[in-house]
This record gives sequence, structure tokens and C-alpha cells, in this order.
Amino acid sequence: MAGFVRQVVVVGGGTAGWLAASYLAARRPELTVTLVEAPDIAPLGVGEGSWPTLRETLASIGIAEAEFLRECDASFKQGSRFDGWRDGSAGDSYLHPFTAPPPEPMAELLAAWQAAPQPLPFAVAMTAQAAACARDLAPRQRAMPDYAGALTYGYHLDAGKFAALLARHATTRLGVRRIAARVDGVKGCVDGTIAALQLADGTVVPGDLFIDCSGQAARLIGGHCGVGWVDRSDVSFNDRALALQVPVAPDSAVAAQTVGTAHEAGWLWDIALPTRRGIGCVFSSRFMDEGAAERVLRDYVARHLPDTDQSALTPRLLSFATGHRERFWAGNCLAIGQSAGFIEPLEASAIVMIELSLRALIDSLPVSAAAMPVAAARFNELFRYRWERIVEFLKLHYLLSERPEPYWLAQRDPATVPARLAENLQLWRERPPSARDFPQVDEVFSAASQHYVLYGMGFAPPAALPQPGPAAQRRLAEVAARARAAAAELPTNRAYLAMLRQSPSALAGASSAP
Amino acid sequence: MTKHQILNPADHLELRVHTGPGAEWGDAVMACLTVPAEFRQVQAHCPIVFRRDDATGAFSAMALFGFANGENLFLGVDRWDAGYRPAALAIQPFLIGRHPAGGEAQVHIDMGHPRIAQGGEGTRVFDEDGRPTPFLERIATLLGNLDHGYRSAPAFFAALESRDLLEPFSFEVALNDGSRHSLVGFHTIAEERLAALPGEEVAQLHAEGWLEPIHMAMASISQFSRLVALKNAQLGHG
Repeated sequence: MAGFVRQVVVVGGGTAGWLAASYLAARRPELTVTLVEAPDIAPLGVGEGSWPTLRETLASIGIAEAEFLRECDASFKQGSRFDGWRDGSAGDSYLHPFTAPPPEPMAELLAAWQAAPQPLPFAVAMTAQAAACARDLAPRQRAMPDYAGALTYGYHLDAGKFAALLARHATTRLGVRRIAARVDGVKGCVDGTIAALQLADGTVVPGDLFIDCSGQAARLIGGHCGVGWVDRSDVSFNDRALALQVPVAPDSAVAAQTVGTAHEAGWLWDIALPTRRGIGCVFSSRFMDEGAAERVLRDYVARHLPDTDQSALTPRLLSFATGHRERFWAGNCLAIGQSAGFIEPLEASAIVMIELSLRALIDSLPVSAAAMPVAAARFNELFRYRWERIVEFLKLHYLLSERPEPYWLAQRDPATVPARLAENLQLWRERPPSARDFPQVDEVFSAASQHYVLYGMGFAPPAALPQPGPAAQRRLAEVAARARAAAAELPTNRAYLAMLRQSPSALAGASSAP
Repeated sequence: MTKHQILNPADHLELRVHTGPGAEWGDAVMACLTVPAEFRQVQAHCPIVFRRDDATGAFSAMALFGFANGENLFLGVDRWDAGYRPAALAIQPFLIGRHPAGGEAQVHIDMGHPRIAQGGEGTRVFDEDGRPTPFLERIATLLGNLDHGYRSAPAFFAALESRDLLEPFSFEVALNDGSRHSLVGFHTIAEERLAALPGEEVAQLHAEGWLEPIHMAMASISQFSRLVALKNAQLGHG
């Protein structure tokens, strides 16, 4: 490669690969984008929860929201609920909603919350979203413009269908070239960069920039570039998941949040789509074997979906390495998706990390061969920071638990706690988390996320809080009023998604309006 | 077909109502009732004219939205192109009900109205515990104001008629496409007779609280030019 990046080659056709190809082609139409996917590799298809960022990503790719919802069998996700994480007792549950607390200093809000005449769960006091989640409501009305809502939201989606929609969109509307062939080899240059891919059918695909979306295989970043893997299983214990998909009745309620339920050696996910629930048991193979995990999984299905014929269901075992690359951009090769890293699916950080990588890449372009090492160094610094923050935030969920099982005791062992997280907790005993603790643009988990987990888990607010002031009290009163209004005005997820399927033409008209 | 019921949580717990503007919700009307207490808000957007009931001879006030039956020039697609929505429209499909023998006013609902939602969209009237939602609270306030306004209207018109301050009114509409239309059958304030009214009569109207709505109704007539502009814009000759 001589001058500026012109030809981009993406390897891998899962969510990461097609998001990368679509996003680059849509945002930088001057680039030539080629995606190579092996015809015989099925995508992993478990990243089925998104962050609110996906709305902006889809809008910039140029996919209408109704089309996305229908094609991907998607529903709205307004956050995550954590059941049984504190002590496993009845009623042990808290919500981490996507909508942030009111824009008032957290110490003031905490003071007003603590002074309220009747005690409310933290999330209920801080956002109207809790009322919507409790009632399985959609975050928006159909008449609203695409990707706008009364409350902040992301999606639950069918990852296989999502990759297929992106592939159709990228190839038919964005001019992405798709090659279905296995990558047999990589032609390197003397400086270590990649010159071209050698495909099984004999084709040679040259490029200026190669994006490795080949998942755990990490064909380019690991296989060719030899960038090392930073193992984080010392902090994050979970390394297996048993996944099931349970069909649901067409009139059943569609939950507004991912539900994560703690068990003796991990947790279960429960993701509601209009036609099915994706349920999975995440566990640590050091503390639980596959048979025990399957019993936990089937017991959950029996309790929550008692009409299910379980004999027809066979769980699929997924093994995952916990960690991330030492570097994500090496030479002219960039790792995005699971090739870059993976920490357990708690808080659904997989898709958002793909999106953040793409945003950072777009902001790095145009880039010449000469400047690329500098751009890569900046990118690597940023993403090392982000993976560190993810590892810490996920660990936080376990640290505040009082559960007595060996797995949970081991999770709380100080030897497994990253130093910065331990320091944060020391500070947060005296003052709430603030934006100063998380100063980057596009923090994956902002101070608001830390607040919801900390005070949801029952972490004691600082003893020295200010006197509850009128501004914060007014804010909390507004939240209560908005919660009442939202509960009255929003349709249920089920009603919204059913109406969406009934009237495709009416909706197409609405979404094309200015 | 109208189907009036007394609104109550037992029968209407799950009821949802479409609240946005829209022809499909029954907003494609040329006019709606208004009351003197509302003239100040209405005159900033639409003409206010008076209509005499042929049978009873009683006058009522109307906020005018168009020049022909079913024509509402303020109604865009899912949009109300004025800063104020007259209460008589905003309260649909609710109405005030009263037992013929008198007594407390009740909130009634027309279950035959197109605003009655099917399929789970629209705004709830009661929450799951049967308490009124903020939407119903707002409607109840509007209904109360409107009811009070209706009941004071006869006194307003009596004050006007006793002083001969109403006169028939016709409006000639010349549109940019060359067509001409005339609006007839309404009354308005007899401005010359008002101007000639002796001071003590004016003071009396002021004391009764009618001087403000009289002037608001007079001022509203200038909104006819806005209706004409909206009509021309609709014809593509704006």
C-alpha cells in the first residue's frame, strides 16, 4: 500500500463482519469494501442484546427501524434486570436501565432518594424507564420518527437474521462486494503488513486495510500478525454457556429488558424476542460441570416457561476464551468483534464494542501508510482502556454480592479484583461515582451505569451526604410524574410489534416522512 | 355511531384512546364549539363566529377551521398546525354527562368514537389499579372548564342580544385559483353598534365580564386571512 487507504477487506461474515462492511461503506463511500466469508462457517449467533448505540449505527447505515425490527425478529431492550445477585432471596432484584438518572449531582439525588417518605428501589426513583420495564412496555410509539423514543433503548435481536439483513443491505444498497470462499493464506509484505488474502478458490484479494472479524479463530490478528492474547480469566471466571431457544405464544408478554438471574456458579440470560426466548446458562467450568449447568438451565425454563416441552430442546454448548488482544490494530490489520476480545455476555458488551471500534476507525480515516502506525497506536491505547473498564464493570456485579457459594466467594476474593476497581470502591464509599472517574468520550459504562449497579445491589451511599435540596427533590418528583405518564402513553412491546407486522405499508409511509 | 357510557374503571380499565390529531380520529371538521372563557386562546389562531340554532333560537360560539363541511385547514398529517387545540376537540371522545334531574357532572365517553383505540396503542385512561392516568386528569380539568363555559354562555349571548350587538355576517373568499366562495349563516359582533354604545352600557358589560370575550371575538375575525392563506397553500397557489 502506497498512499491512502482505498481498499478495505473484511474477513468473516457474522455480526461484526457485516456491521463493519456496512458501516465503512455507508460512512466512507469512497472506499472499496470487500467481505470474504467462508461458505461453511455458521456465525456464533449469540450476541443478541444491543446497546442504545445501535440505533445511531443503523440510522447511519441507512436501514429503516421498522425494516430492522421485522427482518431481525427484534424487540426493544431498555436495560438489564439482575435477579438473585445480592443474596438470592425472594424479591432480590434490581434494574440497570439505559436511561440515566436526572442531570443533578448524584450526591444530591442520593440525599433526596434517601429522604423520600416511602423507600423506592434506586432505578424506580431515578428514571421513568423502571415503570415501563415493569409493565413490558415499548420505549416509543409507532408515530414517532425512526430511532426516537420516549425512553432510551437498544434491541434484542436474532443475530443470524441481523447478519443476513446487513449482508443484503451492504451488497444491494451499499456496493459491498461479497466473496464466499475460505481464506487459505495471507500474503505479507516485508514490513509485516498484509498485501493480500489467498482464497481457497485460487483468487487473490489485495487490500490496503484488513479487518479481522473471524471470531475466536482470529485468522489475521492472531494467525498472521501473531498479536498475543491477554487472558482475563483470573478476574472473569465464566468460560462456558449452554444456550437454548424456547418458542413462545404469539400473545405472550415481551419483556422490556434482558433478565440475568444468578445461580450457584454463574448466571442465566433471558432475552425476549417476539417469537422466542433465548435462554442461556453462563458458568465457570472451574466451578460447575456441563451436566449441572444443564440442570440449572432446564430448571429455569421449567419455572419461567412451565408449558414448554423440554424434551424437544437440546442446549448448545459454547466455550469462550475470556480476554482480549494485546493490540487490536497491528500494521494494516484491525481486529473487530470476538477476534479482538470477549468477556462473558453480562451487560451485552459485544455489539457495542464492535460499534465503538468502527466509530474510532472512521474517525482515524483517511490515513496513509506513513501515518498508520500512529493511528494504530492511538486506537490500541483507547481500546486497552475500554477492555479494562469492561472487565472492571462486569467484576463489580459480583463484588457486591453476599451469596455464599464457593464460586461467589471466589469472585469476591481480593486477589481477583483489579487494582483500579478496588480503588474506585474505596472512593465510592465516601462519594458517588462521577464523570471524573470515567472521563473518556463514549465510555462503555458511564458513571450512571456504575450508580445503577452499586445502589441497585444495596451499596451504602456515602454517610456524609448533603441535606436534600429542592432541586434534586423536584427532579425525583418529575421522574415520578413522567413514570405515570409513560405507563399510560406507551403500548406494550407485544402490541407494538404485532401492529408493526400488521401494517407494513402504513409504516413505510410514516418512516419516509421528513 | 355514538355509544355513550359513564366512564369508570370497572368497565374501562384497559381502555386506550388515540390522543394525537388526525382526520381518522374525527378531527376533519369545519368548526367546533367554543366558550367565552376560551376566546382569548382561540382568537390567536382561528376565527370565532356565532351560530343561531334554528329550532331554539339560541346562539352558540364556534371556532372555525375551514370553509366547507369536513374541511379542517389546521389539520396536517398527524399534525395540528396551530398553537392551540380548542377544548371541545381536545376532550374527544369524552363528554360531560349529567342526570336530567341535575346533580354532579360525570365524565362520559363515546365508545363509538374513532378515538377509541384497538390493538393496544393509544393512551390509557386508568392505570392498572383503576386510578385515573395523567391523561384523564387533564381531560377532567378541560371538561370542567368547558362545562363551566357552556353554562355561562347563555348569559353572554343574552347580554349581546339585549344590546343588539350581534349581526349576520357573510365572508367572501377569493382564492388564488380564481374561485370564489362565500361563507354565510353566521353572526358576529356588530362593531358599529358596539362603538356607539353609551359608556354606562359598556361599563355594565365590563362589570359582567363580557367586554374581554367581545373584543377577543372581534379580533379573531382577522384570522380569516390565515384561513384563506392555508386554503391557498392547500390548493398549491400559496
